[in-house]
Order: sequence, then C-alpha cells, then structure tokens
Amino acid sequence: MKALWLQRLTCCGNTHSFLNYEGLEYLFSRFEYFYHPSLSLESEEEVVERFLKEDFDLLLVEGAVRRDDVVLKELSKRARFVVAVGSCAVYGNIPALSDPEVCGLNYRFKERDGLLEDPEVINLPGCPAHPYWIAHTIFLLMQGKKPELDQLGRPKDFYSSLTHWGCTRNEYFEWKVDAEELGSERGCLFYHFGCRGPLSYSSCNRILWNGVSSKTRAGTPCFGCTEYDFPRRGLWETRQYAGIPAELPIGVSKRGYIMLSGIAKMFAPERLKNEG
Amino acid sequence: MKVKSINLERVEGTARLELVWKDGFIEDARVSFPYTRGIERVLKDRPYMDALVITPRVCGICGHAHLIACVRALEKAMGIEPTLKASLVRNITQSFEILQNHIKWFYLFILPEFLQDSNGLRKLYEPFKGRRWFLAIRQAAQAVKAIALFSGQWPHSSYAVPGGITSNPKPSDLAQLEAITHQIRDFFLKQVVGLEEEELRRFLEGGSLSLLKGDLGLFLEFAHKEGLFRAGRAYNRLLSGGELYNPSGFYCKKTYHGRIKPSALQELTPPSYSTVSPLRYRSFPYETGPLSRQLLSGNRFIKNLHREYGDSFMVRVVARVLEIWHILSRIEEGTKRLYECLHEPSTSLKKPPHVKRAYGYAFVEAARGTLMHEVEIEEGLIKRYRIITPSQWNLGPRCERFLGVAERAIVGLESERQAMLVLRSFDLCSVCTTR
Ligand code: SF4
Repeated sequence: MKALWLQRLTCCGNTHSFLNYEGLEYLFSRFEYFYHPSLSLESEEEVVERFLKEDFDLLLVEGAVRRDDVVLKELSKRARFVVAVGSCAVYGNIPALSDPEVCGLNYRFKERDGLLEDPEVINLPGCPAHPYWIAHTIFLLMQGKKPELDQLGRPKDFYSSLTHWGCTRNEYFEWKVDAEELGSERGCLFYHFGCRGPLSYSSCNRILWNGVSSKTRAGTPCFGCTEYDFPRRGLWETRQYAGIPAELPIGVSKRGYIMLSGIAKMFAPERLKNEG
Repeated sequence: MKVKSINLERVEGTARLELVWKDGFIEDARVSFPYTRGIERVLKDRPYMDALVITPRVCGICGHAHLIACVRALEKAMGIEPTLKASLVRNITQSFEILQNHIKWFYLFILPEFLQDSNGLRKLYEPFKGRRWFLAIRQAAQAVKAIALFSGQWPHSSYAVPGGITSNPKPSDLAQLEAITHQIRDFFLKQVVGLEEEELRRFLEGGSLSLLKGDLGLFLEFAHKEGLFRAGRAYNRLLSGGELYNPSGFYCKKTYHGRIKPSALQELTPPSYSTVSPLRYRSFPYETGPLSRQLLSGNRFIKNLHREYGDSFMVRVVARVLEIWHILSRIEEGTKRLYECLHEPSTSLKKPPHVKRAYGYAFVEAARGTLMHEVEIEEGLIKRYRIITPSQWNLGPRCERFLGVAERAIVGLESERQAMLVLRSFDLCSVCTTR
C-alpha cells in the first residue's frame, strides 16, 4: 500500500497520538510506501508532485483545510481511499471557528459543505483521534475493505457506541449520584460538569487512552470532541432548565429521565453516596 | 548574490526558510510561517474554564505545557494556589511531556538529518524503518503513558483545573509511574549516552565530551565533522521564566540577572515576510530553552561547555539531551514526595467560582523553553487572552534593530545543510509560533 499523510491547519496532535500506537513497527512494515511531512526525509513538494501524476492507495489528511486547496482536491481523485484524521480534517473544528473559508474535507461542522464533494471520506473525528481508530482503519483498508460508516462517514466500529460506555462512573450515573466537586474518582460528571459521554459517539472508555485511562476516568468530563459541535461554549457546564439537563442522553425522553432519576436517587445504595 | 527559498520538512506544521548567499556564505536568513489558526480569537467571550480545553489544542506536542500555563494564569487571576499534591502531579506530567519531546526531537528531527549520507547508520534511524527510530518512539509513548495515568490521555488533556487536578491518584498509579521512569532512565543510560550511571555522574562533574558514547556520542562525532561545535551561535542572550526546576532570570554579557518581568516584554510589529510578531525583552532578542534553563539552574557541566563554545549548535543540542537526565531525577524526587501526600485533596477549590473581574499571567517551562499565558476575565468571561510561545522567542522574525534569534544563528554559515541543522537545534514548531 502506498500512502500519503498531509497536514494543513493543525496542531499535529493526531500525528503524536498516532505515534503512541503500540503496533507501529508492524503497521509500517506493511506499507510499500508511506510519506509524512514531519517524519519523512523527502521534501513534500516533490512527493506531492509525484503523486499528482500517479494513482495511489491512501490519502490521510490531518488539519482543517482552506476552500481554495486545489492540491488536496486533485490528490483526492488519485487516491483509492481518503481518510480525514481528527476533528479538524473532519469538521473544521477550532480553525474553522474564526474563518469562514476554513472547513473539513467533506463537512463544515454539521453541513456537508466541505472542500470535497466526493469522494466520500472516511472520517475519524476526535481531538485528537485515538491511535487505534487511525491504525485499525488503515489495517482494514490494506485488505481493500472499506469500513462500514455512519451518516457522518465515521466507521461504526469506533463510533457507534457512546463515550459513556465503559466509563468507571457508570454506576453513579445509573443511581444518579452526581459529582458535586472535581478531583474525585466518585460521582458522575453529567449533571454538574457538562459531561458529554451520553451524547457523543466514541470508544474512548472501551479501549482507553495510552492503554491506561480516559478523560472521565481521570475525573475530567467528556467534551464531546468527536462531534461536530466541539468545542461548545461552556465546556464544563451542564445547561439546565428547571433542574433538568437541557440535553439528555441520546434517545432518552424527558419524562423517562425525570421518572428514572427520581427512583434511582431514592434507592441509591449508601456505598455510592458516601464520599471517600 | 543568490536567494533560495526552502519549504522545511520534518517540522511541527509548516515553515519556510529563505537564504541569501554571498561569496559562499549565508548573508541573510528569513524564517517564516505561512498559517495562523486564530486560537486567541476563539477564546474571547467564552467562560474562562473553556480555556483549559482550547489552549492545549495550540500544540499537539507541547499541549500539556499550554494547559499548565493556562491553569496557572487562571489561578493567579483568582488568587488561589493548588494543593501540594496537585502541584507535584502537575510537575511530573509536565516533566514527562518535556521528556517525550526531547526524545522525539533528537531521534526524529536531529539524528536523521545528520545521518543521511552515512549508509550503515542511516538504516538504524530511518523514519518508519530504523530500529532506533522505533525504539525512541516507544520510549516517548511510555513517557506520555505516564502522563495519562493522571491526566486521562495524552495528547490534549484538561485535567488541571483552578486549585488542583481532576484525578485522584492511587499508590498503584505511582507504582506504574516508577516503572516507566525506570525504563526511560535505562534507555537514556544505555542508548542515549552509553554510560553506566556512575560513569555519567563522574562525567557530569567535569568530564570531557569525548567520554560520551551512545547516540549522543555519535551525534558529537558528526557535529564535529560538520564544523558545528562552534557555529550556529546567536546573541548569547538567554532567558527563562522559571516555574519548573530553575529560577526565573536571564543571561547577557556574561552576567546573570534575576526574575523576568512581563512588563519588560515587547511584541513588535512583524516585518512584511512574517505573520509573527518579533519578541524582545528590554528591547533585546533572547533565546529560551534547555540551554537557558541549565545555565540559570547552575548546571556546572553545561556552564563549562557554554563558557568554552558559547551558545553554539552543539551546546544547544547537548544541553537539551542532557536535560533528560536532570528531569528524570526531579521526577524521582517528586514521586517520593507524592507518596507522602496522596491523602490530600486533589483540589483546593470545590467548584470553579464566579469571577467578576480579574487579570493573571503565568510563565511555564515547555520543552522548547518559556511559555507565557495571560488572561483577563470579566463577569466570568474571557475578555482578552494572550499566548507567548518559546518558538516565538527563538524563531520569531527580525525587528528594526535585530534579526530573530534563529536568523542570527544562521547568518555566516557555509552550507544549506548547516543552516537546516542550526534551525533544527531550536526545534521548529510552527504550530506554536503561529497558533
Ligand atoms: S462521567 Fe460522563 S461518561 Fe462517565 S458515567 Fe457520567 S455521564 Fe457517563
């Protein structure tokens, strides 16, 4: 497989996330050719020029793009698969917030109004994307298989379950024992600290970060960085109306939430309620 | 006169170097960065806590330093301090971020550049193929795993909050931390300097450079061959804001001066070729980074080296690589102290309070040098946010009186290769420079 990784408006965080992948040596041994601008020895100009003239397998883009990026448009026609690595390349993310000419590959936030009308890009959002999402997508593509995607072009394998799945605070969520303050391994962060775990799709809490943890496990709310509305305003707050969160876990009705949380609170086991 | 413009490879982001040649020497050099992402603008009018999530996204390799700078600036604005436990943990995570950065910089950016012509060696360090290239990356991944034990993930964590940290470490986390520290220490001794611990200690007491083996020894051999022991000097003005393991201060004209005052920082108008403002301290350009830190903290070995060779390419690189060892020792000390205070609360504040009106700034040490964040809050919202990065000091452009630091270090060199290497010794980070 011949692959080209290019960077646009980026912090390079996806590159550094990717470098944490423990199977890196094996992965690279399976490439016939791999180019990365901050790791390879060749010059980007020469490599791009070459690839504009020949078909290749995989184009990976990291970073938000400008609407006038002709090179990416042309390269995307030459590549068999195009992958947007990280939320900037997928939705535009932070760089697009202050510049209307900046967008993602297929999308600009939730509109399908990005740089490329086609092909359909494989989107790996996340700020940054998890190394598994990047590496395991590549492995699949190496076999010539395109992963099954959701409506936003994200592989279902990684983005069909909520970040909430596998969080160590699930039991607290269940019994509605909310964290009243930061800095504890106890309590759920949904009610007071804006946790987006039940509103975002990602496998962070199933596969963990750096092999050891995740934001919510470390007591930080999930900020929903795999979704198009990241970074929302008020990232550490839960907007509420009359004591009910303005946004409820995906698919949960207001009535259901009120009834269940009433009962859960009433019967919550003491061991969960006692701090410490 | 010949002018050549080069797009630089193997940098964080995108950067350009323009060289003006005359009689076989570089007569002028311009370093520039084409893009900006407008992060400071995005912060305006947001709740101040949002800055803890957005500022780390300035940089994928030193984002943690941005987080710490941000939380310190907020704490100063609120007039609060973190608990001892939290500040020890923060120092440890910040230290590991510096370690991974030093390792990646040396193995991915410096060594491959050097070894391009040396067939046998090139293979070992070749990107995506070389055994040592992978070995270094694995060490860096271990270092950031140590961060994630406390911060949940790396890159881009937001676990530091005003008053402390969001996690509550357990003794078992510290055990894993110790195991990782030991592994990196082992790598440093065996692979980076090729010495036994005792030998290294004796060497640091005043040994000659030729005693160094390992990859640093190899580097010195090549640096010598390329004539870079004394070349690549800038203004010999060095500065650090302190706040990790060294005091705040600056060095110029053979004297040390205490404490950096933010009021003496000047951001001037960019020249036409640059989007970045030249940064001056009391009207002069300064270099920041490991060399400044090691000099200010009184490291005898680096002081001697600097006395002999000045702020040259070789000295800059050696100071940075040897800093790995000093930081490892500090991590070990910090871990010991941390065991003693694990029972303390993780934060001194229960909840982020409403802030009516406040101003705060903080200096923090990132791998590449001093980073400053400055924040003004009004009715809980960010009114103004300013970031000054290490790369802005080192790679920023010229003003009317002085060339930028890196530009100055390149002028007078004899080859493009030398110019590239010298530029790399500052560690190009365009993403930080331009934000
Ligand atoms: S902290 Fe967030 S992810 Fe964890 S259980 Fe609560 S809502 Fe779910």
